Amino acid sequence: MPPVSLTINGRSHGPIEVREGLSMNDFLREVLGMTGTKFGCGAAQCLSCAVIVDHADGTSSTTPTCIAPATDFDTLVIRTVEGHATNGELTPLQKSFVAHFAFQCGYCTPGFLNEGQVLLERLERAPIPRADLERTIAEALDGHLCRCSGYVKYHQAVRDVVLADPKRFLT
Amino acid sequence: MLFDRRLATILPATALAGLLAAAGIALSAPAETLAPPDAFVAIADPAQRSAAYFGELSKVLTHPRCTNCHPATDRPRQGNSARLHQPPVTRGADGFGTASLRCGTCHHGANYEPAGVPGHPEWHLAPAEMAWEGKSPAEICIQIKDPSRNGGRSLADLVAHIGDDTLVGWAWHPGGARVPAPGSQQEAKALVKAWVESGAACPQ
Amino acid sequence: MRPSRRDFVTWVAASGIMLAMSRIGPVRAAGFEASQTLPGTAASRLPGATAGRIDALAKVTGAKLYASDFRAADMEGWPETTAHALLLRAADATHVFTGLDLSALDAGARPAQVVTAQDLERAGVRVPPFYAGDLLCPAGKTPLYLGQPLALLLFETFDAYDRARAILREKNPARFGAETGPVAQPNYAALRFTRVAGETPDKPDVYSPLIEGWISPGVFEPGGRPVWQPLPTSEGGQYKKGALHGEAIRAFIAASAPDMLVLDRQFRTQSVDPMFLEPEGGLAWYDPRAKALRMVLGVQSPLEASEELAHLLGEAAAGFRPERIESHFAHVGGGFGGRDHTPFPFYVALAAMFLPGRPIRLAHDRLQQFQGGIKRHAFDMHTQVAFDRATGRMRAFAADHVLDGGGLANYSASVAAVSATSAIGIYDIPKVDVTTLAEHTRGVTAGSMRGYGVLQTTTALETLVDEAAQALSLDPITLRRRNLLKAGGLTMTGNPWTVSIRTPEILDKLEGHALWRGRAAARKAAPAGTLVGTGVAVCAKDYGTGADCSLGRVEVDPKGRIRIFCDAVEMGNGIGTAVANRVAGLLGRRADEVSVARIDAFDELGLVTSGDPYTLTQTEQDEAARNPRWVPAISSATSASIGAHVGTQAAAEAARLIFRFGLWPAALSLWGIAQDDPRRFLWQEAFWFDGALILSGLPPLKQEKVAARAHEMGGLTGAMAHAFSRWAWAQAAFPLDGFEWVVDLDALAVRRGGGAFKVLDRSFIAFPPASYNRIGTSFTSSCGTLVKVEIQKASGAVRVSQAYSVLECGEVLTPEVVVGQAQGGFAMGLGYALLETLPPFEDGPGNGRWTLGDYVVARGSDLPIHALEVEVLPRVAPNEPPKGMAEVVMIPVVPAILNAIHDATGHRFRALPVTPDDVRRVL
Repeated sequence: MPPVSLTINGRSHGPIEVREGLSMNDFLREVLGMTGTKFGCGAAQCLSCAVIVDHADGTSSTTPTCIAPATDFDTLVIRTVEGHATNGELTPLQKSFVAHFAFQCGYCTPGFLNEGQVLLERLERAPIPRADLERTIAEALDGHLCRCSGYVKYHQAVRDVVLADPKRFLT
Repeated sequence: MLFDRRLATILPATALAGLLAAAGIALSAPAETLAPPDAFVAIADPAQRSAAYFGELSKVLTHPRCTNCHPATDRPRQGNSARLHQPPVTRGADGFGTASLRCGTCHHGANYEPAGVPGHPEWHLAPAEMAWEGKSPAEICIQIKDPSRNGGRSLADLVAHIGDDTLVGWAWHPGGARVPAPGSQQEAKALVKAWVESGAACPQ
Repeated sequence: MRPSRRDFVTWVAASGIMLAMSRIGPVRAAGFEASQTLPGTAASRLPGATAGRIDALAKVTGAKLYASDFRAADMEGWPETTAHALLLRAADATHVFTGLDLSALDAGARPAQVVTAQDLERAGVRVPPFYAGDLLCPAGKTPLYLGQPLALLLFETFDAYDRARAILREKNPARFGAETGPVAQPNYAALRFTRVAGETPDKPDVYSPLIEGWISPGVFEPGGRPVWQPLPTSEGGQYKKGALHGEAIRAFIAASAPDMLVLDRQFRTQSVDPMFLEPEGGLAWYDPRAKALRMVLGVQSPLEASEELAHLLGEAAAGFRPERIESHFAHVGGGFGGRDHTPFPFYVALAAMFLPGRPIRLAHDRLQQFQGGIKRHAFDMHTQVAFDRATGRMRAFAADHVLDGGGLANYSASVAAVSATSAIGIYDIPKVDVTTLAEHTRGVTAGSMRGYGVLQTTTALETLVDEAAQALSLDPITLRRRNLLKAGGLTMTGNPWTVSIRTPEILDKLEGHALWRGRAAARKAAPAGTLVGTGVAVCAKDYGTGADCSLGRVEVDPKGRIRIFCDAVEMGNGIGTAVANRVAGLLGRRADEVSVARIDAFDELGLVTSGDPYTLTQTEQDEAARNPRWVPAISSATSASIGAHVGTQAAAEAARLIFRFGLWPAALSLWGIAQDDPRRFLWQEAFWFDGALILSGLPPLKQEKVAARAHEMGGLTGAMAHAFSRWAWAQAAFPLDGFEWVVDLDALAVRRGGGAFKVLDRSFIAFPPASYNRIGTSFTSSCGTLVKVEIQKASGAVRVSQAYSVLECGEVLTPEVVVGQAQGGFAMGLGYALLETLPPFEDGPGNGRWTLGDYVVARGSDLPIHALEVEVLPRVAPNEPPKGMAEVVMIPVVPAILNAIHDATGHRFRALPVTPDDVRRVL
């Protein structure tokens, strides 16, 4: 039973002994009781289980949790849907999702939120031309499945966060 | 053993091997295995023998374990049925995926059997110019010798790529329900080596 | 029209098991209840989230909300740890199941209990009739269908369960013996719908289902196929009369007179999966000391699930029969029909009964959801239409539908009926004859899914109309306009639509749209290697089932805060938001607390029911209605697009009463308007603006002041209501403040000031007549869609590059949700037309190997994200009620795509989905 230590939403967890082979998704949902991260397909095909990994170089990426052992997350710093709002304030992307009625059943929302947030932070580091915005959002979100919304409002919600503060995200 | 040369020109290499096998000569092996270079000694013509080595090797090169990541488009394929990869990832600038969907995001250092997801530290796509999917062994043979379409490799590099590269080697130990590439990596290496040393002739 | 199985139901089920409609037991799930009451206390802590959906904050912060989010530790008063269950299913339905071989499981992966069919028999478990068929296949029998459950494995720990799941996925433990072939079973339904209109529009029908009743042939071939011909024998009873008319219609079409254009086509549509993103999951705990079974479930039909669970265990042996079942219903991660009347809750309950004292969770993974979840029916359709060449009018229509119902009956008969009675879509055709047959097969069970058969038949019809327009050299929209069913006209069951009919406007909108007007230019401008085409289709879809009801409870506190309970289920449809918005219009403030999927908050109504609301006679209804507590049905599934129209009705009417008899008298008091002042009757002139009540010429009143005064005066501050619709509302009068007040409700309890709810006896009741049960469709809304496709000649890939959908749904309760449903419906329609398919039988989902890699649903990149325009027509009158729209928006997308592909390629595809290979083959 290898021990796992990691930082989730700014809080240290572990060392916690986990069974070899336990998925990160089950570690979050069954061991820690953090069910904001969803289980949808078990094969990284819907990405409703994706969380954010913050890398040492200051960049971040999303990663599905259903197809990787918890042990692969040892020492990592991650963020989940439960950790976006801080100090009683929703993030601009969360507010935009709410204002746009981006989701319906909401089961895919944690994945879209994490992916959209990583994209926004990436654009902040490396702004893109306005003309590339729609394509960039489409590429970023395309791994995520949604069965209710037809995706339109998710894309609009991400775009509107960028367009509300173009100096920050666009060249 | 002499046989009609015209047959060799109209039949693809694998069919040729099958024909020889049918004739009672232990040249080729069943689909899931590879014949050793020795099995081809009966072919007198060096070029034909060289081409036969490649024909045998092409059982590996045209196998889904190889073509899935040497796809004809920018999108890899998956599984024994070689269906399009889901989610829809593309090779990206470096062959390791796009900025948002990197191969390594899901494909970690090793296979993760509880979810049936394969893994290797270097998981990525072959460059677009090395696409094999849908090509005949003869086409692949010409392509694989062309440094502009084989990743700038010499023939010796090819022996190392097929024979020693651990990502390529994964194809023989894919785990789960995935069908392994025929034979073993050592056997494939022996074939590619024999092919190179015999002049690297291509099937017609 | 959806058959019910109810014999007699009160708040105590027929089984004698107490269904915990109130949570009075020693254990309360306060944490669970708080989680489901939205926007909840967190809303005030997180500013910026007060707009949007009622459930938005919970969903955007990852709050525990769905059934799959709950474990025992989350439930107040439950034991801490959770056990886990694994449901093993059959991947073979042609060989005898001989038993399980679990030897692949090592000590760390072994179940504490294996529950088999024998165990269920020993426990005395009864299968509810709607789900007839073995819950677990007994050893020695061939499974009834692919995916039939074989055994429940119960594990003490998650680790053991998780390891066993992985091991058994590689080493299937089910053992099979001799080949038997598939198990033969009777088909689920064979119905015939025939109508012959009078010779002129003002003459009564010669024959119709409304006049004569629905008919079914009484004679079947040995293989189970019905004999549709009217046999010269007396068998088949009244069938013969209708069938003779039907055969005459077919003879008329077959004669194919020179002045007629006759099209005779075969269509095939595939089975698909609703693919809601949250796989089915549930949690249960049988507490042997309290003899109570407590559950957390996520279904579209909470009361149905509760009743059927009571039936399941009602006559079970000691130790397996709870005295009380307490079910908590959670928000649902997508439904689309697939969680309406699903047998999944039975297995959750059984897991708990066989591991008493231990909370246990059963949850599908995606492979299991494909293998066991409810599917859409695959259809084979043979359709014939005769058009008058001179006028383009449709003279006669005949069709024969065969549905693959899969292994269990479920809703197959109902889907067969709905699809048949919708077979002529938006058109007025004087002679119609449709037969429909729902077959049993060894496939995975098919049931309710968005579109409910109408998707399939409309696909056939709307592509056929397009083909006819071409053959008649008429514009496709012109041909449709000439054939529209107009207000007052009769549908193929012989009744009129009783709601607004907006198809003429829809056609105008489509015809005037740039996408349609520019279609020829778009074709010409296609780049090299690309074909471009534009297609149109229009659809009408019924909403409601013919026996729909809602429960609503609204309370206003002295500070004006509003709390709402309703029985409708939130599955993404925005029902909580719709209810809150509808109530806000009446009470001046958006609800502070909305609690959905609640069937346990209406005790005071004391409702009872009996009989089947879909089949009872007028005499039975009149007799039963004498009991003021009797209603034809207590709570409906959230399905059939009834959310807006029915689901919000009881709460809206409750709010209206609170206003009229609580807030309005309080406002009069604050304004100082005396009892003899005629302005006291102007309550309908007053309106809310910015939290204040406005009546011309008087100072605006803050909502909280009005509420406070209502409480001081002991006015009506809470109402609990039940509404019933059978293509019309039940209407009742209740004694209120000296009036016999008539409302579109059939049961009511009220609260005055801070008092308790007290039920009121209705002094008058008018239930819609029982004869309305013979109506096919009466409530209908319509939608039209235009799509432009671009087809790559080399690959055959079809891309929808631009689209426009125009719909109408009466009062729009939440505009953003309506548009969102239309966008989502578009995506699902596109997937059905181009991507999704489940082959039948051994290669299909029942084999347990299907993933989202094999089953491809539409992604963002498949859709015209930035070129999908949705227009919602404004309602026709300020008092037009909301109409259902969640299904209709998906339907025309499919034939519009097929018509666009034809426009681009010249080829008509009549089987779905249309794949790139299919297209390449015809280019």
